[in-house]
Amino acid sequence: MNFAGKILLVDDEAHIRKYVSLIIKQLGKMTLFEAANGEDAIAAFQRERPQVVLLDVNMPKLGGIETLKRLKAIDPDCIVIMLTSLTNRETVEQALEHGAAHYIRKDTPKEEIAAALTETIDSATSPS
Amino acid sequence: MVLPLPSVPFNLSDRKILAVDDDRVNLRILRGILTKEGYTAAEANTGERALELYAEFRPHLVLLDVMMSGIDGFETCRRLKSKYGEKCAPIIFVTAKNDSEDVVEGLAAGGADYLPKPFQPKEVAARIRTHLQNQYLAEQQHLLVDQLSKANAAKNRFLGMAAHDLRNPLASIRGISEFLKAGTVGPMTPDQLDLIETIHSASQSMLQMVNELLDVATIEAGELKVNLQSEALDKLVSKCVALTNMEAAKKETKIIFEPPKESVSLRIDLAKIRQVVDNLLSNSVKYSPPGSIITALIWRSEGETHCNFAIRDQGPGIPDDERDKLFKDFSRLSVQPTGGEKSTGLGLAICRKIVEAHGGTIVAENLPDRGCEFRVSLPIT
Repeated sequence: MNFAGKILLVDDEAHIRKYVSLIIKQLGKMTLFEAANGEDAIAAFQRERPQVVLLDVNMPKLGGIETLKRLKAIDPDCIVIMLTSLTNRETVEQALEHGAAHYIRKDTPKEEIAAALTETIDSATSPS
Repeated sequence: MVLPLPSVPFNLSDRKILAVDDDRVNLRILRGILTKEGYTAAEANTGERALELYAEFRPHLVLLDVMMSGIDGFETCRRLKSKYGEKCAPIIFVTAKNDSEDVVEGLAAGGADYLPKPFQPKEVAARIRTHLQNQYLAEQQHLLVDQLSKANAAKNRFLGMAAHDLRNPLASIRGISEFLKAGTVGPMTPDQLDLIETIHSASQSMLQMVNELLDVATIEAGELKVNLQSEALDKLVSKCVALTNMEAAKKETKIIFEPPKESVSLRIDLAKIRQVVDNLLSNSVKYSPPGSIITALIWRSEGETHCNFAIRDQGPGIPDDERDKLFKDFSRLSVQPTGGEKSTGLGLAICRKIVEAHGGTIVAENLPDRGCEFRVSLPIT
């Protein structure tokens, strides 16, 4: 992974944040921030201005899709990767329509999660 | 959910009966019998009037004279049947002409039974009671089937939700144990590593079981959808074989893939067919003794209408009397995995449903010496 900027990880489940943060730490020198719901995510986003956001779809208070819309309104260039449970095609399509760069299923093996993160972030942040 | 059991109520006197006859005397006799039995009766003296009255009165049973001025009993019966279909009340013909032609025509017009004139009150009452009882039981049965299918759908929704919600925590446990195993968060003692290995393999097999439960819930809810795209089956199988061989190596078992001479492209749902291939491959390793050689092959059928994919293992084969159970839900055979592996008994049932959703077939046959062959045949379109 060439990217070494800020990344915000948003998921209401603490075990997922712990697990995915381990994967992210393995990938390189990113600075990681975490949020447990959509509202906190927007606050953290405004404060830290991360280039990349990993965003859970199903969350209380403010859901993933709504959070995505608001993040994109603040910064249309931010790279948002959705974290999904099952491949719910409608939700995924909706997320991609609203500017998500990619989606990753949380129950896939960690190597696949790592590969998908690297590919998406590198291609979205490459200077071309 | 507790379901009421159907029982025949002794008293069916809340039932409504429509009596149709152009002879006033007959109508009066019938009314007497019906009233005595406690039924609510309505009367019509022509077929046309009977059709009108049926719509208003909604009887549970119709007693219908055959010979009437205007439309006769047979025609009245046909019209009622065509208008109300299966929901039409049973119709009993009353006929003075007790000849078999009349009876046959009445039954052909949709009549449930016939009563000869002159009436024997006890006979009339007994026949009516029998038909009302049958009708009541049929109603109860419909009700039960309806309730059961609703309960089954609720069970599937629950199963799906439970399986779905268990996946993420399990994936985290599995993933985090992998990090521990790899020493990412610091060195582990051999004893600790052994425990972590146990956590890892337990979470891995639980995740697989949960995934299978979820698949069954999805399939049972009729939500199995295949997204067909042109894909090379041989490339898919080659990848799956390479991955399964890593697991198989633990049992010193090896899968040898014999690819077809030319690559075969099929319209398939890649993820779902991959699930089938993975399942069959891991089964072949699971049930073959350590040190086995398993063969996977792909070939086109004669006439090139289908593409076959087969896996030949060196396991004990399928006992003849258990063959029917093989592709059914939750059916574990007496045959046991050779390395203590776990099984939900759902894998092959899921495989069958996925293959059938592709318009294909899956069969299992014992090989002449030992082992068995699982063969999937998919249409080439």
